[in-house]
Amino acid sequence: MQYIIVGLGGQGILFTSRVLGHIAVSRGEHVTGSEVHGMAQRGGSVISHFKVGEYESPLVVAGSADLLIAFDQNEGIRNLHFLRQGGIAILNVHAPEALENPHLANFIAERGIRLQAIPGYDLLRKEMEGRFLFMNVLMLGAMCGAGAGNASIEEVRAAVEKLAPAKFKADNLKAVDLGYSYFRGK
Amino acid sequence: MGNKVILLGNEAIARGIVEAGCEVASAYPGTPSSEILPAVARFADELGTKTAVEWSVNEKVAFEVAAAASFTGKRACAVMKQVSLNVAADPLMSVAHFDLAGGFLVVSADDPGPHSSQTEQDSRFFAMFAKVPCFDPASAQEAKDMVFDAFDLSEKYHMPVMLRPAVRVDHCRQDVELGEVMDLGRNADFKKDIRRWVCLPAHVKINHPQLNAKIDAVREDFEKLYGRYNFEVPSKGRARLGIIAGGVSFSIVMDLLKAWGREDISVLKIGTPHPLPVKMVEDYISRHDNVLVLEETYPVIEMQLPDRTRLKGRWNGFVPRAGELLPEVIRDLVLSALGEPLPSEAAGELKAAIQDLKVTPKPPMLCPGCPHRASFFAMRKALPTGIYPSDIGCYTLGVNQRDVDTTIDMGASLTSASGFYLAYKTDGKDQPVVATIGDSTFFHMGILGLVNAVYNRHSFVLAILDNRITAMTGGQSNPSIGEKLRQGDEGRQVDIEGVVRGCGVTFVKVVEPYDTKDSADVFKEAWEFAKEHREPAVVILRHPCMLLRQKQARVKVRVNPDKCIGCKYCTNFFNCPGLPFDEAAKKAGIDERFCVQCGVCIQVCPHGAIEAVEGEEE
Repeated sequence: MQYIIVGLGGQGILFTSRVLGHIAVSRGEHVTGSEVHGMAQRGGSVISHFKVGEYESPLVVAGSADLLIAFDQNEGIRNLHFLRQGGIAILNVHAPEALENPHLANFIAERGIRLQAIPGYDLLRKEMEGRFLFMNVLMLGAMCGAGAGNASIEEVRAAVEKLAPAKFKADNLKAVDLGYSYFRGK
Repeated sequence: MGNKVILLGNEAIARGIVEAGCEVASAYPGTPSSEILPAVARFADELGTKTAVEWSVNEKVAFEVAAAASFTGKRACAVMKQVSLNVAADPLMSVAHFDLAGGFLVVSADDPGPHSSQTEQDSRFFAMFAKVPCFDPASAQEAKDMVFDAFDLSEKYHMPVMLRPAVRVDHCRQDVELGEVMDLGRNADFKKDIRRWVCLPAHVKINHPQLNAKIDAVREDFEKLYGRYNFEVPSKGRARLGIIAGGVSFSIVMDLLKAWGREDISVLKIGTPHPLPVKMVEDYISRHDNVLVLEETYPVIEMQLPDRTRLKGRWNGFVPRAGELLPEVIRDLVLSALGEPLPSEAAGELKAAIQDLKVTPKPPMLCPGCPHRASFFAMRKALPTGIYPSDIGCYTLGVNQRDVDTTIDMGASLTSASGFYLAYKTDGKDQPVVATIGDSTFFHMGILGLVNAVYNRHSFVLAILDNRITAMTGGQSNPSIGEKLRQGDEGRQVDIEGVVRGCGVTFVKVVEPYDTKDSADVFKEAWEFAKEHREPAVVILRHPCMLLRQKQARVKVRVNPDKCIGCKYCTNFFNCPGLPFDEAAKKAGIDERFCVQCGVCIQVCPHGAIEAVEGEEE
């Protein structure tokens, strides 16, 4: 299972791969991944590679990712080429009209990508007083809700509960459920 | 044993350092090495070791502190990034000649790409230059294992040993085996010996041939005793290609071969690139008609081979001589070496979409609310015709506001200011120059430039951007803060103002950068003073880094569309992620996803279009 997680510096992407890593290791699976630290974290484009299984290198080769989780719509579009034929993209969308671009639609069709769009900012604005810091866990919930990735919602909830700072535990779980139910409610 | 946890590569190295019984660890933060030392402190706290763990003010200091500790027979290590080793190059070259007592490990983290550095130089060349052994890990687990071997080798030959993790190992996250702490039971016991510890020329005449003999012996060891790091992954039948690979390039090759299910390619992994086990590599080459060398970033393995004319490598331009060897690059190199077609770029439609939608990579920016943004704004407002040499830190991102004209390396803001001053002075001109430097960089290498400018009477303004933290590398402590890493350790704050005055500066003023009007006035005053008195004037702009999340007044703002004329002044000279320009509407606006309500932008708009939202101040 190969994941690409993209977004902007400060969106808490590292926490997402920590949660996925925690779940895999507790199952006794081998994990490897690559993170961005340093200057690239200052609001710029950020990408995390994450692989579960018998891999050695921390990097995912373009065209071979099973799942793309994008905390930012533009970063998601820019990195769609990482997906393999038939891969899944979970996209936090803030300007849905862009998805109607005909070239984009062609690419998605050619590669047989299942695109799952979620209006993460709207949901957090409506349900969590616009605290966008919870985008990372919301996207994890969305991943489970969309039936993607190789972690169950129970595993995600348990891992978030264990790894999140005590002060924000309840809020983190609320955001996980918010992302999960967005796709399950439909 | 058997306790596996998921660790960052840098944490795995740190765990190795603590488990191997290292008792003194020092470092200066720098991406991609920064997470190592805090993890050393954390593991030392958890495991209850006595290890002294310290941020030093710079890498030369860190190197020398650790080196001298090893003179007493204890294990010690100095940790830094690749360009930091330039700063520590002086002691590295000397100490290489010493006959050390305790194990001395130098960790130098490379940044092929580069992702966060001013060069993508290869530390292995420094190992070669200094004639010290170097280990090059391919994974987090291997990096941890190599720490033990590096200490052992250092103690076997009484010489410094380098571990060179590159960024993809530093910042990989993998499952790693934890072990117990080795109890070496050593007490500090410095045995005085002038021949051994004083680098007089007469001693070098003895020590240099001795160093040569040591490195020859290490090469023999690397040929025979390090099969866990230097080994061959054979092909089935005769190989159509042989790949010599070190570091993460090895891991990438192994994943590619597995994904392809290919068995007609053999691989020779080299984990000890210096001194190269030449016989092993020559034997491998002799058994292959077609050989590709993959190493980052410079041709260190290649250049140690007496004959590289049969290799596909960097010497003949087959392998790119700059940039990171990403999996896609390696994939194409392997296919080209085999004479097979490259995968067709199936992403044509995606490229067209990206072009249509103008989706470009977002470059890093100063955080919303960052005090540096306000400092830069005030500086330009006060002295718009200035030359602005700057330094290494978050504030290098002042380029986005056109307020950083030069950056060379740590501390060069001040020395560049001196150079500009002299060049214009010889024409009889008073050119305003404002140097910007952060608090940590000032302590690292700025003080010397300041003393030089006071001594030689150079007129310029030095702006010290004191945000109470080493921010760019993730928020480490420094003398301006005075905190230490290990639980229970107390440091002491060093007062920047006092240091500046002690250097002989007479104009020193501290301002709040959020008040851009006041700081602009002080900038003007400082330049007039510097010009009149022929000496540097110092403005300290003090406001805590946003990453520290300290409570501050929140001012909700909006852009009044009736007043905004779309001039982009705020975008060009303030450049805040919370204040983007809408190209369609030709107006600035607030992006609530990023705005932290610092309220500084209200002072920025020349048309008064940015307004506080009434009743929303807290």
